Amino acid sequence: MNKIYGYVGKIARINLTDSTVTEVSTFNYVPKYIGGRGVCNKIFWDEVGPGVKAFDPENKLIFMTGPTTSTGIPTGGRSTMCSISPNNLPEQYCWSGIGGWFGTMVKFAGYDGFIIEGKAPEPTYIFIDDGKITFHSAKELWGMLVHQTQKKLEEILGKDVNSIVIGPAGENLVRNASITTSNDSVAAKAGFGAVFGSKNLKAISVRGTGKVQAGNVEKILKLHKTMGKPIGKTNPIQYKDSFAPRPHINFPVPGGVKEGRVACSYGCNQHCNLILLDVKAGIGGNEKGRTNVVNKCVGIYAYQMIEDSGWTPQMSFNTPQNDYAGCRFISGDGFTPDLSDPAINEGFLDRQLGDIVNYWDGDYDRGNVINDLCTQYGIDRWDVIIWYMSWLAMAKKEGVLDDIDFGLGMEIDPSSEEFMKRFLEMIVYRKGYYGNIFAEGMARAIRTLGMEKYGKTIYTGRVSQRTGNQQIIPISLESAWGHCCHWAGRGFQGSNDITCWLPIAIELMTSTRDAQTNTHHHDSFDYYLEVRNDPCHNPRVASSTIFNEHCAELKESLMSCEFQLPQIFDKDIESEMFEAATGIKMTHEEIYLAAERIKNLFRAILIRNNGRTRDMEVNEVYPILTYPDADGRTVSWEDFNHLVDMYYEQRGWDKKTGWPTRETYERLGLEEVADELEAIGKLPEK
Amino acid sequence: MSNTEQKYGRHIVQYPADVSMCAGCGTCEAVCGLIHDGVTSPSIKRIFLVRDTTMTEDMHKIYSCQHCVDHPCYNACRRKDSAMCLDEETGIVYVNQENCIGCRQCWKACPFEPKRIAFNLDKPRKALKCDLCRTRPEGPACVEYCQVSCIGLSDQPMPGKEEKNE
Ligand code: SF4
Ligand code: SF4
Repeated sequence: MNKIYGYVGKIARINLTDSTVTEVSTFNYVPKYIGGRGVCNKIFWDEVGPGVKAFDPENKLIFMTGPTTSTGIPTGGRSTMCSISPNNLPEQYCWSGIGGWFGTMVKFAGYDGFIIEGKAPEPTYIFIDDGKITFHSAKELWGMLVHQTQKKLEEILGKDVNSIVIGPAGENLVRNASITTSNDSVAAKAGFGAVFGSKNLKAISVRGTGKVQAGNVEKILKLHKTMGKPIGKTNPIQYKDSFAPRPHINFPVPGGVKEGRVACSYGCNQHCNLILLDVKAGIGGNEKGRTNVVNKCVGIYAYQMIEDSGWTPQMSFNTPQNDYAGCRFISGDGFTPDLSDPAINEGFLDRQLGDIVNYWDGDYDRGNVINDLCTQYGIDRWDVIIWYMSWLAMAKKEGVLDDIDFGLGMEIDPSSEEFMKRFLEMIVYRKGYYGNIFAEGMARAIRTLGMEKYGKTIYTGRVSQRTGNQQIIPISLESAWGHCCHWAGRGFQGSNDITCWLPIAIELMTSTRDAQTNTHHHDSFDYYLEVRNDPCHNPRVASSTIFNEHCAELKESLMSCEFQLPQIFDKDIESEMFEAATGIKMTHEEIYLAAERIKNLFRAILIRNNGRTRDMEVNEVYPILTYPDADGRTVSWEDFNHLVDMYYEQRGWDKKTGWPTRETYERLGLEEVADELEAIGKLPEK
Repeated sequence: MSNTEQKYGRHIVQYPADVSMCAGCGTCEAVCGLIHDGVTSPSIKRIFLVRDTTMTEDMHKIYSCQHCVDHPCYNACRRKDSAMCLDEETGIVYVNQENCIGCRQCWKACPFEPKRIAFNLDKPRKALKCDLCRTRPEGPACVEYCQVSCIGLSDQPMPGKEEKNE
């Protein structure tokens, strides 16, 4: 094989127990596993067996960049972490993506990634300084908020250093604690901040001054022209007297709003992050108590949540004439549709209204304070805003909280900035009985409090604007694996229709967490037209699901982002990115085969380590589908299982157990995985 | 002719945030390295993105050579016309790396803070400075590839505005 460009060749094995560092060659794993999540899966499969819990020293946290990272390929600046997630219920192997400049610097420092092992005897931070890795006491940093920690590390190590850090939530093993970069990009949903905490690891800093050589500079430059649409649109800072967290929601803000867009990582061409400048801080801030808040996706719901986001088929489906990356409403980039597109007559741009949920009305300060508190404490905004807050709102309206006193000295009110401040402080510092309960995450909290009352009570305040009917939904909003509804057709941020939420349910089923940070479902508009009447019996829904799952694997193995891929009408884009980075030509089929290998290895880990079966996953994901979506649609047990059958069949997985067959593993070059599973009785019978 | 135009030649400018705010992506640095050296590196660039997350509108600042008309860096070079060279026609001062001995005299002479000259990873380290992509028919790569058009050339109008930015 020709020289492989794009990688720097080494993965550091960093042992916190005895403060040692050794090196592993990246080429043990690539190009077979591409990079990022693919490599994490292989390392985890090889090194962490069943029985290990999230907070055990035996749990490893693997951080990987991809071949595109640091090459300047658009959106390649992101990275992935994998470990056992404390925020899954049950705890399972999981992943989490992160932006920022940290991953890029790790590569410039000479490493494609690192494996964190063991547990430090005392609070520690790690410094990766151009190929030299050292361990330092973090006693001085322990207890500090996220921004304070970042600042302190810059003071100690220099301004050219980049760090990922945890806040008090991670230190206190709050299960949905995040890890944060210097530009407030986070790895949050998996709760890996608490894995850091369990290892006494406060931060990892890096200084990288070396170089990365990509395989094809011309291709990189070309990708800059083709991946971002449109290149060169200016990004003026905007001064407004009202705030529109979502296109159809707008409320006045006394004192005004100053907003702009920023990139999350090196070479990013999407600049999807909305930055709100000079806003009220939740904690800390400057001498006037002001700060900046970066909003990526979920943060915008903290400002107002009366009506759920609506949906237009265009957000999920593309036509050749209107082929744009999805979910652009945060960046405000939107797009100017080509109105000559015949799909428009078929409803392509028809806005389908979101449900009225009546949680909290518009308040700019409250939104900023909550977002800032989440950043500073290092706790997942999704869980806070979408889950704690909406649960509080619904439970309160249904009288479920009448006999609860959190001991916060004020009435329960998630729309109150002050209440949320006290509530989050209680959780992050595990104060009192309820602090400890909620620090375990909502899924565990509602079980401890009592599922019938605190989870299954029906919220009566949800009304569909599409049908005019009141729609039932349980106050738990739980979807699966200890996570809550996301783009699930019902609940929160979920007014997409069945053509979209049904494949998403399967994607969630085979996952271990909310998969919507990398698998917002996309396909061509003709998929939508073809499947909408009877999706459970249309094999195209299964193949579309598999396609999206593979795209997700590639996004986090090559390194790209949810706002960039997939490009529905440019199926070679991933191969192009890979070739630009590494110099290796792979066809579309070859790179998707690698994605399938990565997915099946993930599956094998779940089967071996976490006892994954068909029964387990179908039962996990099905219950929420029995509540009506925004159109009043549900899916029956038989129909859903019919779809699961089709999906397993197309995947080469046994329909009874849900386990990949030996033929499937072998087709993917995973013979040794099949052998190991066979030895423990986890290959399906012939 | 304004003072600025007398002092500085054509150079890269960053527009004010109300024209276009730098997104902080680093693409300008990356393409600059790719085009000149075929690699990316924090050490190999001729344009400098200084990221800051303070509450000012221009959080991310872009610096590169101002192409001073009196070119102190060129004057200071011990190997003038062999290492640091002057393109008589355009007035662009550029580095001929082969002959650079890394003595840093140019760096010391640069009147700006941060300095607009960097040193690469070679041994000895060679000076790097913006040459406005003088041999590139399309002109400055950083300007061409900035996704938000927040940088431009000093003698060109700002996007959406009549006046030039100096
Ligand atoms: S004009 Fe060319 S040499 Fe100068 S900073 Fe931009 S890319 Fe680099
Ligand atoms: S390419 Fe443009 S937006 Fe990106 S860092 Fe450079 S000047 Fe800023």
